[in-house]
Formats: sequence, C-alpha cells, structure tokens
Amino acid sequence: MSTAPSNDTESMEVDPVFLNAKREAWVILGLWVVALLWSVPYCYLNGFQTGLNPETVETTMGIPSWVFWGIAFPWVVADLFTIWFSLFYMKEDDLGVAHEGEDLAEEIAEMHAKQDATTAGGNES
Amino acid sequence: MFAASGSDAALVTFLIYTAAVFVLAALSNRLLKSKNFVSEYFLGSRGLGVWAFALTFAATSSSGGSFTGFPSKIYTHGWILALWIGSYMVVPICTMGFIGKRLNQVARRSGSITVPDVCRDRFNSPVFGLMAVSLIVFFMSFNLVAQFKAGSLILQTLLEGVTLFESTADGLSQAVSGIPFLSSAESPEYLLCLLVFGIAVILYTTYGGFHAVVWTDVMQGIVMVVGVIIMLPLAISQAGGLDNTTRLMAKMTPPRISAAEKGGITLTLDKPSQETVIIDAGTWITDEPIADQKIPLLFRVTRATEIPAGETTVNEVKVLQLTTLDDIERILGRKERENFLNDVSVSNIDLKAYAYGEEGSQQGTYLVGPGPSASSSSGFLPLSLAISFFFMWAISGTGQPANMVRLMAFRDTKTLQRSICTVAIYYTLIYFPLVVIFCCARVLLPGMEGDSDRIMPAMAVFLTENIGMGWLAGLLVAAPFAAVMSTVDSFLLLISSAWVRDVYQRNINPEASEKTIKLLSYLATFVVGTAAMLVAVNPPKFLQDIIVYVGSGLAASFLAPIVYGLYWRRINAAGAMGAMIGGFAVHLAMYVAGYFVNGSFFKPYQLFDFDPIIIGLFVSFISGYIVTKVTAPPPDELVQKYFYTTKTKA
Repeated sequence: MSTAPSNDTESMEVDPVFLNAKREAWVILGLWVVALLWSVPYCYLNGFQTGLNPETVETTMGIPSWVFWGIAFPWVVADLFTIWFSLFYMKEDDLGVAHEGEDLAEEIAEMHAKQDATTAGGNES
Repeated sequence: MFAASGSDAALVTFLIYTAAVFVLAALSNRLLKSKNFVSEYFLGSRGLGVWAFALTFAATSSSGGSFTGFPSKIYTHGWILALWIGSYMVVPICTMGFIGKRLNQVARRSGSITVPDVCRDRFNSPVFGLMAVSLIVFFMSFNLVAQFKAGSLILQTLLEGVTLFESTADGLSQAVSGIPFLSSAESPEYLLCLLVFGIAVILYTTYGGFHAVVWTDVMQGIVMVVGVIIMLPLAISQAGGLDNTTRLMAKMTPPRISAAEKGGITLTLDKPSQETVIIDAGTWITDEPIADQKIPLLFRVTRATEIPAGETTVNEVKVLQLTTLDDIERILGRKERENFLNDVSVSNIDLKAYAYGEEGSQQGTYLVGPGPSASSSSGFLPLSLAISFFFMWAISGTGQPANMVRLMAFRDTKTLQRSICTVAIYYTLIYFPLVVIFCCARVLLPGMEGDSDRIMPAMAVFLTENIGMGWLAGLLVAAPFAAVMSTVDSFLLLISSAWVRDVYQRNINPEASEKTIKLLSYLATFVVGTAAMLVAVNPPKFLQDIIVYVGSGLAASFLAPIVYGLYWRRINAAGAMGAMIGGFAVHLAMYVAGYFVNGSFFKPYQLFDFDPIIIGLFVSFISGYIVTKVTAPPPDELVQKYFYTTKTKA
C-alpha cells in the first residue's frame, strides 16, 4: 500500500470494518449485475413481441409468463439472496462510538491556534 | 355517486391521521431536551432501531409518485411496468448495503451529522464541504417546492367532492381575493390543500426534528403497505381472477384520443334544454354503431364542457373512445351505476390513434413490451430505456443524500442487517402487487386514461363500495398522501440542516452556543418550509421534470465522491471535487444540449440512447479517478484516521 501511513505501523492495522464493508460492496455490485443480466435480456427476448395472438397467451399463475420468469421469480430469488446475505454473510462489525462535536472542536482549536499565532506575530513586529 | 361516501371517509382519515402525526411530533420534542441538540434534531442521535430505520428509509424513498404516477403508468401501459420497476428487486440491498455500514462508521468517527459534513471531514476540506452543501441546497430546494405541489395535488384529488372541503375552499377564495399573491393561485381548492398540507408538515417537522420525521415515516410506511395488502385480493377477485385479467388485457386495444388543440366530437341533444347542460369530465356518452362496424360507440369526456340553455349542439368535445369490445360491454352493462349523458347523438368524430399499440401487428400491446404509447412510435419502454431504469432506481437511489443521511442514523450493524431484510420484504409487498392491482384496474375501470392520476383513489372507492365497506377507502387513499408527506418532511430537514449545520455552524460561527443553534434550527426549518410553500402557491411549470432532473443530478454529483471516499484510500480532496464537478457538469450539459437539440431543457440529449444519469455517473467516476491519480496522495493522518485502527491484542 503506497498510501499506508509510515509511522506507527506497528500498532496500527487496516480497519477490518473497512475491509468487510468493501468486500460486501463488491458482492452487492455483483448481485446488481446478475439481476440486470437476468431480467432485461430475458424480458427483451420473451416479452417484446409483435403479432401476439390473444387466444394463446402463456401465463404462469395468472401472470404473463415473461413477467413471471423475467421479474417475479428473480425478485423472489433476489429477496432470498438479500436475506441470506444480510443475516449470514454480512459481518456484524462494531461501528465505534460517535465522536459528537469532535470535527467542530478540532476546527475551533485550529482557528484559535491561528488567531494566537497572528496576535503573537503582531506583538513581535 | 360513489365518490361522495369514499371522499367523506378520506376527510375523516385525513383528520385522524394529522392528529396522530402531531402526537408523534410532541413525543419527539421531549427527546430533544436530553441529548446533544444538533445530533438529535438532525440525526436522531444515531440511535435508530430496526423498525424505525427500515421504515423511514423505505417511506422516504417512495415519494408521492409511488402511489399516483406509478399506478397511473401501470394503468396506461399495462404489464410492461413490471420491467420498468423490476430493479426494485435489488434496490434495498443496493441502496442500504452498498455504502451503509461504512458511511455510518466514517460519520461516527468524524462526528459528522450531515452529508456535507462527511464530505468536509473525510477530506478535511472546507471547500469540498461548501461545494456539497451548495449542490444540496440548489437541488433540494427545487425538489421541495415540487413535492409541496405534489402533496397538495394528491390531497386535492382525495378530498374532491367533499362538501365541507368545497365550501371551505370557496370561503378561502373570497378571503384571499384582495391579496395579490395568494389570489393568483391555480385554484382555491389547490391553495387550501397547499396551506393545510404545508402548515401541517412544517409544524410537526420544525417542532419534533428528526425523530418526528422518522416516527411519522413509520406510521406512513405502515399505512402504505396495509393499503396495498388490502387492495390486492379485492382487486384480483373483483376482476375475476388474475388469469382472466391477463387474458382480457391481451385483447385490449388502446383508446382513441382527442388532440389537445383541435378535434374531438360533436354532441347534439335530441331536444334543446331549458337550462345549461353541464357535461363533467368522466361522463360517458354512447351512440349507435357506425353502419359497417359491429362495435358500439362509447366515449368518455376528458375535459368538462357545457351546452348553453336553448341550444342543442357543442363542437370539439374532448373525449376518449373505447375500442375494446369487452370493456365497452362491461360499461354498458352497468349503465345505472355510471354517469351517462342520455338523449344525445354523436357526429364529426375526429380522434387520433396511439402512436404505438393500435396496429394489427401490435396486438396484445398491454401484455408485452414495449407497451402502448400515445406519443412515441417506439412504444413506452424500448430496450435502452429499460436498461436506464435499472440504473435509475438501484444506483441513483444509492446516491441520494436524503437516503445517505438515514444511513448515518442507524444504531449498529445488526440494525442495518435486519433492516435490509425488512425493506426487501416491504418493497416486494408494495411494488409488484401494485402492478397486479392496477392491471386489474384496467379490467374493472375502463376509460380512465383521461384522468389516470386519479386511478388510485378511484380504485380504492370502487373496490370497497363493491364489498359494502366504503369507509375502508379512507385508509386506502391515505397511502399516497402518507407517501408524499414522508418525503417532504425528510427533504425539509435536509435543507434546514444544510443551512444551520453546514453553513452557519461550520463556516460562520463554530463557537455558537447550544441555545443559538437550537433557536436557529427551529427557525431555519420553519423559514425554509414556509418559503417553499409560498413558492408552491404559484409553482413553476414542468414540476415532474424538475423532480427527475434533481433526482438524477444529485446521484451524478454525490455517488462517486462518497463511494471513493469510503472505499479508496488513495482518493484526495481534489479527486473528490473532480468527481462531483464532473458528474454535475456532464449531467447538466446533457440537459443543456437537449435544449439546443430537442428544443427543451427537459428533453435531455441522450448520448447512445442512454439517460443522462448513466453518462453523468460514468464521467463522475472516471474524472474522480483521473484527478486523483495526477494529484498528490492525501495526508497520512487522514488515511490513518479513516482506514486504520489500533491493533487489537491477539
């Protein structure tokens, strides 16, 4: 890692929450791609047609078959995957305590340091 | 006729509902006393549990459109809407799981309360924070006005026909007739709804802050799902089963419609009337079939008109003509229940066909892609658009700041994990059933194309009257109202937090006392809400287009910098700004190019047939990467703070 901090490497390690979250994000992106590659081509190949004969419409459980296999069924699969993924695959990480007001406090301290520096500089001259 | 009892139920529901919202706000206000004010008021002290977090997330993302625009689209275009909404199968896991855990962690580590806070703290760059806050205020202010308008229109739709409502509106119009700004509103009904809706939302949001918004979202979320779950079996059984519905839809052909400017039909009364004959929108008109055709003539008036007393004829009446035999027979079969204009004959029929869907080769268009379209000859959803919508919902949903704020507010990972499951099940129970319900609506209520935004309340009333439970309609029509309310309150708080936290506290006066911040927070929420409401009295045109522009523009600007900031150690402030500016600029450029190429800002130029959101996101990620690579690495302290942790003892 070119950007790894040079000092203190002994006592520091890459945050496991970051690593877990990153791995999970890749899996989710993969799921999105799979959903896209399943639904859109399937629906396009089976659900976009001209000259449909109303008497011979194919349905599955009352739904047009292309909707059933292209949307409804993958939807259920995606839900099952989502449930498995979030309950069993996602790591239960400790997100740490909230440092309420810390960002503001740091800036206020910096601001004062700067003001002190300028007043000190002014005194010298 | 049915409208009356259903609407009274709507008024009662609305009043109960509003009362409940205020109780929740009062409870939330009590929480504000004990904790860090800013964190509680704008972020609920990062303590949301599963139900609160899941439902506020779900309710905020489903705006009024889910229950007005979406049903109207299903009704108008048929089963193809299943593909249009298809990516909702992965929306919960994408929008919550992709950045949720990490964003929450980073926000805790820095103490960030808003999205611009995260931008500023993560890169230690006040400039980037200001850029983020400017974009949020710019985009969201438009959106807030648009949502206020949407909310008022929905309320107006629901209350139409209630006597008390009409008389109050008349009273209001007399009261404001001397006030130049208010009297120029679209209509007294609209103004009344805007004031009632606006004041309610502003008050409870201002008073209760984030927790009020969340708790009302939970209630609104429950109302929505219960409404859908009740409607689904009613719709299927009354339409004679789902299989029957699909088979009937296969035979449907789109209606003939009148062009907006000229054309229509001529109506002639059999004998002149003593009084003016008022013909409301929605009135049915039938006549003997034309000589060589078997199908009876059946028209529905789409714009109200009248025949003056003593006269017999009116020209160019705007109507739509049903063309499907089954539908026509169904309406003629229940003539007593419907509003027919009798003793009248029709001539000079000048109507046009749908641009896609009527030709013989396009038979069964309500069942298959690309779906019928009145205006586009390539149909409603050609392939390139279907792909764009897969991006639109899942990816651009992840890039919405209003969603990101919620991701910063859940309590712990367990909450996130369970909430993703909850939202996945919740969306499955809402979105796919809505497609089924409003396909059934095509069978049950033919000829609604002229007023399809009212299909949800119309269905609610129709279904419940049929089983003799008209009061239930009130609960069902509360769903769209709940949806828009839960969106407006979140947007309102997002903008006021931008002013108080990001502009005032972080840039103007970091040392402001808790008391000042508290006062300013209440004040900003109130002022922002009131300003948006006043603009919405005379709203700019193209509101629906503005909502689309804002939604995709925010995603194009925010998704890449946030994702890089959370997952890429090498990204620096310059790279993040490059991603934000790149996405924003290219997305805007597509709209500006649309102005020159297609003649309207809201018909964006579609490079390679793709929506601007796709091009915007692509450029945003690329420019962020390139700018980062050619500039110096970020300071070690920042990388260390956000990507490293003290080694745990083995």
